[in-house]
Amino acid sequence: MGVDRNRDIDKLLPLRRIEFHILLSLASGERHGYGIIQDIGARGETSVPDVGTMYRALARMVEAGLIEAADRRLAPDRGDERRNYYRITSAGRRVARAEAQRLELLTRAARLGGLLPKEVK
Amino acid sequence: MTRNRMLNLSERWFRLLRRLYPPDFRDEMGDAVVEAYMDRACDALKTGGRIRLIALWGGALVDSLRNGAAERARPAALWRRAGNWGRDVEMVRRRLSRSPIFAGTTIGTLTIGLGMFAVVYTAVQKVLIDPMPYKDPGDLYYVWRDYGPITDLKRGSLAGTDILEMQKTNVVIQDAAGLQPLLGGVFALREGADPMEIAVTRTSPNLFDLLGVAPALGRSFAPDEIGQGRDQVMVLTSHFWNRLGADPGIVGKEVRLQGRPFTVIGVLPPDFTFVRDEAAAPPQRVDAYIPLEVNLADTNPKEGRYAGLIRARRGASPGAVAAAVNAVGRVIDARDFNGRGLKLYPAGLKADVISRIRPALVALGAAGLVLVVMLMVNLASVLLARGAQREHEVAVSRALGANTAAIVRSTLLEGGLLGLAGGALGALGALWGARALVALVPLDLPRREAIAIDWRIGAGVIAVGALLGVLAAAAPAVWAARTSLSSLLAGSAVRGGGGQGRWRRGMIVAQVALSLVLLSSGALVMRSFERLLRADPGFRSDGVFTVRVRTPPEFYPRTDDAIAFQDRVQRALDALPSVTGASAASVLPLMATAFTKTTVTVPGAPGNTGDVEGDKLLTDMIGVRAKYIEVMGLRLLAGRTFEEFRQNDKTEAIIDAAIARRFFPEGNAVGANIRLDSDERPFTVIGVVDQARLYDVHADGRPQILVRAELGFRPLYFVMRTTREPHSLLPEVQSAVHRIDPRIPVSDARSMDDIVQASLSPQAIGGAVISAFAVGALLLAAMGLFGVVSGSVTRRRHELAVRLALGADHGRVLRLVLKEGALLVMAGLLIGAPGIYIANRLIHGLLVGVSPSDPFTLLATALGLLLVTMTTCYVPARRALRIEPAQLLRHE
Repeated sequence: MGVDRNRDIDKLLPLRRIEFHILLSLASGERHGYGIIQDIGARGETSVPDVGTMYRALARMVEAGLIEAADRRLAPDRGDERRNYYRITSAGRRVARAEAQRLELLTRAARLGGLLPKEVK
Repeated sequence: MTRNRMLNLSERWFRLLRRLYPPDFRDEMGDAVVEAYMDRACDALKTGGRIRLIALWGGALVDSLRNGAAERARPAALWRRAGNWGRDVEMVRRRLSRSPIFAGTTIGTLTIGLGMFAVVYTAVQKVLIDPMPYKDPGDLYYVWRDYGPITDLKRGSLAGTDILEMQKTNVVIQDAAGLQPLLGGVFALREGADPMEIAVTRTSPNLFDLLGVAPALGRSFAPDEIGQGRDQVMVLTSHFWNRLGADPGIVGKEVRLQGRPFTVIGVLPPDFTFVRDEAAAPPQRVDAYIPLEVNLADTNPKEGRYAGLIRARRGASPGAVAAAVNAVGRVIDARDFNGRGLKLYPAGLKADVISRIRPALVALGAAGLVLVVMLMVNLASVLLARGAQREHEVAVSRALGANTAAIVRSTLLEGGLLGLAGGALGALGALWGARALVALVPLDLPRREAIAIDWRIGAGVIAVGALLGVLAAAAPAVWAARTSLSSLLAGSAVRGGGGQGRWRRGMIVAQVALSLVLLSSGALVMRSFERLLRADPGFRSDGVFTVRVRTPPEFYPRTDDAIAFQDRVQRALDALPSVTGASAASVLPLMATAFTKTTVTVPGAPGNTGDVEGDKLLTDMIGVRAKYIEVMGLRLLAGRTFEEFRQNDKTEAIIDAAIARRFFPEGNAVGANIRLDSDERPFTVIGVVDQARLYDVHADGRPQILVRAELGFRPLYFVMRTTREPHSLLPEVQSAVHRIDPRIPVSDARSMDDIVQASLSPQAIGGAVISAFAVGALLLAAMGLFGVVSGSVTRRRHELAVRLALGADHGRVLRLVLKEGALLVMAGLLIGAPGIYIANRLIHGLLVGVSPSDPFTLLATALGLLLVTMTTCYVPARRALRIEPAQLLRHE
């Protein structure tokens, strides 16, 4: 799976909301599926994806080479049961960054257009 | 309920929901999904109690239904689940290479069958279907005169004035051109260079514009290049230009035609071909075009001399074109024929050109399709038989969990690959086969030069092969999908039989039915062909050699000089060793045209009815020299033949039996005076002959009148009866003519047997191909039957052994086995019988003198088929008798 060139990255953009959330969670470290769902809830998203949606997205993103399965290991937050962990790949990181820049551009444009309050520093 | 119990229940529910996902996703993510749900369940129980948990169950159901369905429908996943094609192809390839005999015979059969199909398909496609290489070929039409009540001529040429009249209308008919073959094209590159005879067509200058063809070199005719008193110009066809050495500098050069100077102004593109219709002259390839030497306005309106070609307005319907042509016809009828009922009618260019060969091609095309179906059924039964051998393997692998789709897929793939290989090899073979066919067909086959395999046809044949393979594999695939271990174990006593046996028997019935259809068609065509061969055309073709010798008016302006030259040639040929007689005629039998027609009236003849128009008889007029009747072997019914000694002031004629019967029903025609509309003088009937047929070997054509060639007929075909192989005479004939006049070429050397054969070629080719198809079909059916019967003997060997052990005699056991084959064959014959009627509709155009439902032929075919198939059954049936009951039963 090569997401090496810029053209390939552009082809993936814009990311689906759930995909961006997944990359966002994994950018700060390895997580298991349910953990990502909880992250999304914590980010204040109104509609949190259900388990099936999450795992289908994970399967597709593994296929696309954006993330990869890490080892199955003890999950401290789940009472020390074993869970499947995922980690972001470098390609995934590049795609996430590109998506973030795209969103930033849009946000800035929205501010200039008066849709959002001006810079709240 | 305790918390743990609730969680246990939850886990079971989530595991159940997992089944909603497709297997590959389940394998990869199923456990993780269940775990994630369990985590949620724990959290839910903690934060919201049982109510929250039960809500989660509902949510999980909705979630799994939605995502399970979505995952199943994902294209990429579908593709992955469809399996690994590369691996499957590899597996099929290995399986086939493990049984090379099976693969070889199957692909061989397909190659031969599809190769034959490809050749026929090419001929049909190129001749019948492909548009001709002109601009908007659908808008081109020939126009013919139907003399209706005036004379018995339904397909007459046009007068120049007719063509002018059509050019004038310019509404539906956009343009019209007249064409006329030049009789006697003696060509030389320079004055004094070796003469060669070429086929020249004279045409209106607008012909190439009308066809929408631009010359590859130089220009075509200018509109004013017609009539006399101008520089003579010539356009060469590409193949003639190649024959001359393909010199690009030829444009502008001066060449000689009939000794006169012509300037070459252009060369036509290589794909240009234009076959004149046989009503104008025997169709042949044209070497060069020159403009007409008279202005159309100056032609005799009563005399039809030109083939008329028109281009209709783009997209005009055939009905509109016919109406426009009819309207012109009415004008001409009123102006030139006092309203006696002359009509003009159009005929689509392609339909007109291919009309003679069409029935043969339609029949061949249909036979080709039947053959393909036959191949398919045969392949299906072979694959089924092969499937039966693999029955164990299939059942075991299914029991071990191989999925049905994979088994079906690999069976279909096997069929498809076999078909693909057969199609590819067949297309390759057809490259050669099409060339062989072109060599076989007569030179005048319309669009003959177009018959060659191109990539489109090759791809078509390969696709047909692959499709045929896949379709053939459908039945075995379905059967394989149903095979299960339990049914196999239950039926272990009857190994190799079971469900597929019924299917195979069904296929045998289908094959027998199809071969009956092909065989009966083939038999009818062959029988008709054999009748044609035995038909008496009115002359003796064996041992007669013919050549054409031109006497162009440019070299022999005076008729007397031409006659003197012809006299010398005849004497020289007569004196050749091994020649027992030499003569000449203006046209040879079976050339399908007389070049000249004349209307005969016999004033005061007993057969006259008193109706002035009705007592005119349109006849083909043939000029012959002394001894022609003897050399060609015509039957003299009364009177005498032309004598060597000729009195110039006496005009003599020999009439055929049809004219004699018409005017002299009582006989005694000899000595009567008759009048020809082409000559002022009365002619005396000196003899009556059976006509030497001009058009068909099996039926009389228009009545014929023979007059002396010395009336001014040229060119002449010289005929010699010889005791040697006719063609061996050619060098001597050439040098004899060369000694008399070196400017005159000898051309068109053929034996009369060649001419007879050429006229039979549509039937001969049709008969040969259909028979080959039929024999192929019979072989396929016999092979299939052999397989079924021998399989049945194997399967029933226990039963047969028991019967033999209990004292059944051999005849009884043999009958038992044969009965099975006979029942299949009889069923096939019954089912095939109605097919014969459909097939006969398609071949009736090829049949001459044989009824399409000739009971003798049909019965003989059915009996022959029965005999061959029963013989095939007998071989495996005899094996049943060699069963040693004691030995076999001991093994049980």
